[in-house]
Amino acid sequence: MTAGQGTRLGAFRNEPVLELRRASVRAGLAAALAELDRRLPLEVPVLIGGEERRGAEVVSTDPGEPERVVARAAAATPEEVEHAVGVAARAFRTWREVPAAERAAALVRAAAWMREHRLELAALEVRECAKPWPEADGDVCEAIDFLEYYARGALELAAGPPLVQVPGERNELRYVPRGVAAVIGPWNFPLAIPCGMSAAALVTGNAVVLKPAEQSPACGLMLVRALRAGGVPAGALSLLPGEGEVGAALVRHPAVQTIVFTGSQPVGLEIVRAASEVGPGQLHIKRVVAELGGKNCVIVDSDADLDEAVPGIVSSAFVYAGQKCSAAARVLVHEAIADRLLERLAGAVRVLVVGQAEQLGTDVPPVIERAAQERVARYRDLAARQGRIVAQAEAVPERGWFAPPCVAADLPAGSAVLEDEIFGPLLAVERVAGVEAALEIVEGMPFALTGGLYARDPSVVREVSRRTPVGNLYVNRGITGAKVGRQPFGGNRLSGNGTKAGGPDYLRNFVEPVVVTENTMRHGLVV
Amino acid sequence: MSELEAEIHRVGERLHAAFPSASRHPVKALDARAMELAARDRELRAALFRFVDVVPACRTLEDVARHLRGFLGELAEAPPPLAAAMRIADVRAARPALGAAAAAGVRHMAHRFIVGETPEHALRVLRSLWERGVATSVDLLGEATVTEAEADEYARRCGEALERVAREAARWPPRKILEADSLGPIPRANVSVKVSALTPLLRPDAPELGRRDAARRLAPLLRQGRETGAHVHVDMESLDSREAVLELALELLGAEEFRQGPSAGVVLQAYLRDSPQQLERLLGWARSTPRTPPLTVRLVKGAYWDHELVQARQEGWPAPVFELKADCDRNFELLTRRLLDARPAVRVAVASHNLRSVAHAIAYNRLSGAGDEDLEIQVLRGLGDELQDALAAEGFRVRTYCPVGDLVAGMAYLVRRLLENTSNESFLYAQASGTPLEELLAAP
Repeated sequence: MTAGQGTRLGAFRNEPVLELRRASVRAGLAAALAELDRRLPLEVPVLIGGEERRGAEVVSTDPGEPERVVARAAAATPEEVEHAVGVAARAFRTWREVPAAERAAALVRAAAWMREHRLELAALEVRECAKPWPEADGDVCEAIDFLEYYARGALELAAGPPLVQVPGERNELRYVPRGVAAVIGPWNFPLAIPCGMSAAALVTGNAVVLKPAEQSPACGLMLVRALRAGGVPAGALSLLPGEGEVGAALVRHPAVQTIVFTGSQPVGLEIVRAASEVGPGQLHIKRVVAELGGKNCVIVDSDADLDEAVPGIVSSAFVYAGQKCSAAARVLVHEAIADRLLERLAGAVRVLVVGQAEQLGTDVPPVIERAAQERVARYRDLAARQGRIVAQAEAVPERGWFAPPCVAADLPAGSAVLEDEIFGPLLAVERVAGVEAALEIVEGMPFALTGGLYARDPSVVREVSRRTPVGNLYVNRGITGAKVGRQPFGGNRLSGNGTKAGGPDYLRNFVEPVVVTENTMRHGLVV
Repeated sequence: MSELEAEIHRVGERLHAAFPSASRHPVKALDARAMELAARDRELRAALFRFVDVVPACRTLEDVARHLRGFLGELAEAPPPLAAAMRIADVRAARPALGAAAAAGVRHMAHRFIVGETPEHALRVLRSLWERGVATSVDLLGEATVTEAEADEYARRCGEALERVAREAARWPPRKILEADSLGPIPRANVSVKVSALTPLLRPDAPELGRRDAARRLAPLLRQGRETGAHVHVDMESLDSREAVLELALELLGAEEFRQGPSAGVVLQAYLRDSPQQLERLLGWARSTPRTPPLTVRLVKGAYWDHELVQARQEGWPAPVFELKADCDRNFELLTRRLLDARPAVRVAVASHNLRSVAHAIAYNRLSGAGDEDLEIQVLRGLGDELQDALAAEGFRVRTYCPVGDLVAGMAYLVRRLLENTSNESFLYAQASGTPLEELLAAP
């Protein structure tokens, strides 16, 4: 709770990702996957406090081999949602009294647990979400980073900010936890994002009911195991696997004070609407922390170094099959170099390796499920009708939910391909008169999550930095891969409510300030 | 002083005495002053390098001037000549002239490091170097390879260069020291190839992917090298691609088809902490895979020091390179001795601009009883010109690495060379700033 305890944790540093360029490091991966495969399918129960109910109503499968069942999960019933919130509300009363330093220590121990199970966790992401190894490993590292970063942040927050003090009164500001937080997680960063959302709530003294994505319940279970192994009491962290209605019931519940959501824009806006209704017995205005989608643009000026822009754009658009909210979806390129860029992009996309996530060297894994595959195909067909497909990867496996990465161009303004979040490996390239024209397009969009700029004139870099509405602008590099503490991450406008995961302000979303002013004058004396 | 140290000093002093005097190269002296200015001021150096880097991407002279103004505008305090340039840049009518002057300056600087934009021009330079007693290795500059077409085009250009240099070289006059050692003839034509340009599929975590793809293009080049009698040298780049590059080279050169040629080589980077293990691996391969002529190993310090260190810091990995110059220099000497001791399993080329490192290699070679012809010294065009002339004058086999290509393609190369030339850590900087010879030749 004091600076001293913060110091004892040491300065935050990002967990190093595996150095996969070394053969000795790569050697361990296949064994970890084989070990996991022997244990499949995993069982994911409903966990409420110390209680556990098994079931198999929700099944997660390997997107690269849909017959392979990764996990059988119980789906939480409406009664279980009710019960879980009740258990959380009771646990909150004791968890909130635990000193911040102890709560932070629980996170640090959970991080240590994850380090011990690092390859096992990454292997699970490879199977359950088809994350290629480097991405899966990066996700595990990010989860560890959130735990370590928020542990330190909670100590600082608990110290409270200084207030103006005058003789005869004592002013104190404390941040107190809000209560029960419903955490509704996505599947694309199946460990890191739910981990960051849950850890932030827990370390500030809230109780959490976690609803993992139906596509990745086993990753959700591993998160709960890590946090409980670290010392988070069972009652303060329940797991409710299930489909969308579980999340919807949590959102509506009057005893849920905070809703932490990462996912699609329509669902996010529905949550904001539902959260504004006050239910019977409700004592709080619900707070929604929402990270929604993006339609992220990369601006390429005429002086860009294409040797860097092409690989940067390709990886931003196609790594993990474009299924990152930060992924590049549109390229706005200066007309003077548009042909050259398009030619090189097309060539680079044709040689992308589309394959299984477990295969090192795979650039583009399958998308998460059949519906996603179909959605990407619909937009690809639309792009072919309204404009043209400039390039498409040649060899695509037949089994699994593969969607060939492709580049589209010559789309008319207003095309759904340019406006909708496709969340798949489809990149649209548009020719613009210059950076000013590109900026006007970006400024007119409802999404404002990430953006990119390839330019070398310092005045152009300054101007775009000044005017961009996006939450995260990346200059002369890829636009994905935000690191905790280095690139606090999150969007503005309809992409999110400006909370920045992995940043210095994030924990403030989980607390309420209480100011106590005490009169210290008694009989004309300051006592 | 040990026998070796005494010999190093003798060799070093002789070489130093053979250096051409700077006054005879007024243009180089001018460049040297610009470099010195850049070396003293980190911010200025960054601004100038960013400017040099962007010049080929500028569409008009006005565009050049705008960028110059932009980079210099970021400096807290510009030196007087540059402050004048900034004032000029603020006058619209004067911008094309300033742009032209600046672009010409960059081209001039580039020509110091790049022998020609076309093979024709380069061939003239190669011949004149040969006549002065200097062998060469041609390096084709190019943009990064991100597509199949670019990989094919680079391979085609390499094939063409092998062909043309070999044909031309046949007409060069004899230079005994440059074309034979005690093991036999050494090809006059020598081309260095970059694996990263031979495939768009180099992936640090999947080296076999790039290796397989690059092999399709490297194998025909090796055949062509054998047929034309040219040497093919496989360059080394950053650590991310080392495994793919080395596996590829050893796989092909060990194949039955290539056991009797061409003359070929690989690179060992002394700045890597694990380079002694890499050397053992290379020597193990060379001893168990006899080929004629033997594998040439070019020992270099390594040109990606900043990149390796920054990447390691960003990823939280242990630094793969020595962080102290003295550690790197000591390792360079250790590897030199091991390589020279390993002959005749390998041929040895020591590539360095560090007078001490070069003198050490020559001295150790002599003390081991070998003739000077059994050691090759290599330098880079533009950085090692004086050392090159001194070595040639003293009758050593010196080979100058000669990049060929246009400015756009050469920019990454040029900036790396400029960084090297103006680094406070560099031997050249120490030499240029008047460090006494005794200090330059001291053991690291």
